[in-house]
Amino acid sequence: MKVRFWGTRGSLPVAQKAAAIRDKIAAALVAADGRRFSDLDEARAFADDELEFAVSGTYGGATSCVEVEAGPEDGEQAFILCDLGSGAREFGLDAMGRCARGHARVYHLFMSHFHWDHIMGFPFFVPVFDPETKIVIHSGHADAEEALRRQQEEISFPVAFDWLRAQISFVTLETGKPYEIGAVTVELIEQNHSHKSYGYRFTDAAGTSVVYSTDSEHKVDRMDQEAAFVAFFGDCDLVICDTMYSLADSASMKEDWGHSSNVVAIDLCHQAQARRLALFHHEPTYSDADIQRMHQESIRYEELTREAAPLEVICAYDGLTVEI
Amino acid sequence: MTRGNLDWTIETREGLRLIAPIGRVDETTATEFAERLAQEIGGAASDGLTRLAIDLASIDYMSSRGLRGLTLAQRQSADSGITIVLARPNQIMREILAISRYDKVFQVFDDIDDV
Repeated sequence: MKVRFWGTRGSLPVAQKAAAIRDKIAAALVAADGRRFSDLDEARAFADDELEFAVSGTYGGATSCVEVEAGPEDGEQAFILCDLGSGAREFGLDAMGRCARGHARVYHLFMSHFHWDHIMGFPFFVPVFDPETKIVIHSGHADAEEALRRQQEEISFPVAFDWLRAQISFVTLETGKPYEIGAVTVELIEQNHSHKSYGYRFTDAAGTSVVYSTDSEHKVDRMDQEAAFVAFFGDCDLVICDTMYSLADSASMKEDWGHSSNVVAIDLCHQAQARRLALFHHEPTYSDADIQRMHQESIRYEELTREAAPLEVICAYDGLTVEI
Repeated sequence: MTRGNLDWTIETREGLRLIAPIGRVDETTATEFAERLAQEIGGAASDGLTRLAIDLASIDYMSSRGLRGLTLAQRQSADSGITIVLARPNQIMREILAISRYDKVFQVFDDIDDV
């Protein structure tokens, strides 16, 4: 199974400014300390091997969009996508390229919820204009179609939903029931968020599993609900969690904002004996340095609180592919 | 949730209720931790005290459940006009408080005498 992150920011897309790029270049030049590189490959190797990620790269700025690739790599499996944030634009372009090389033109989209940052990529999702493409939009929300149609009403967008040429259908899923969809078994869990959100667990035929749990607030006065999440994350190979705020923020000034923290995500994954956690839905005001610091602190918290097998803590970024 | 076991020492000195849990505050003890805190806040309020210090010297570790229990205690104590402070965290707890940013929402003292 592979998981590709096409968008990892929360709330709204962000972009690097010129000053931030300049600062990265300056930091790299200082780290190079006068070293000469014979070609670009050598320079790239230096960047990969000797520079911090916040200097050599970027966590990116597209909003939530995560692809799960499961089943035989024969191009006959349907695409599986979680959420349609702005990262869906780039995914759609990439997917069309794969379809041109023979991939099946079938998409199963799984929506955590329909807030703007999780649907804003849909009008730019190129496959929707292909009449040979079949798109099934799965969610726990009965008003899914209404949400997508609304954002393409003329006051908001010049292309109406009814102009889209793909065969688009909507399916409302229920919690507590497994569904066989494409190459995976899918389960969902209801989460605390405005108008509700849903987390998904995808399991392939070999038993490899990934959980997508974003926009899920683990409330201070409802900690009794967490046993259900521990069960949902149980023995999972990769858990993708909303870790947008510090624990203190999520329990105080940002309470009821619908998001969670790295500390809670690690505690839940420890209890669930999950193997790997991906920090996700990054705060848009965070710089790459801020996100890297949060990642390093998360790794340290996992070390401090580990009682059994280690939990690998990675930090999702736009363009990351994880092989499970 | 199964319950673990925390030991406690409680004393009052010069207008301050000083409570010292002993052990780990994790998923098995978090409920007991929160309930005892609530009880001690109620007791401090009844005694007309305005400060309550949690001595962390004998706390090995506190999970997010325990930290959020501190938040609930802080809300209850604010309603009663009591300020909760933390004291003498060990090195692990110092790091946990920093990583969680709970050192920004609670005053943390190195020494009980400074409280």
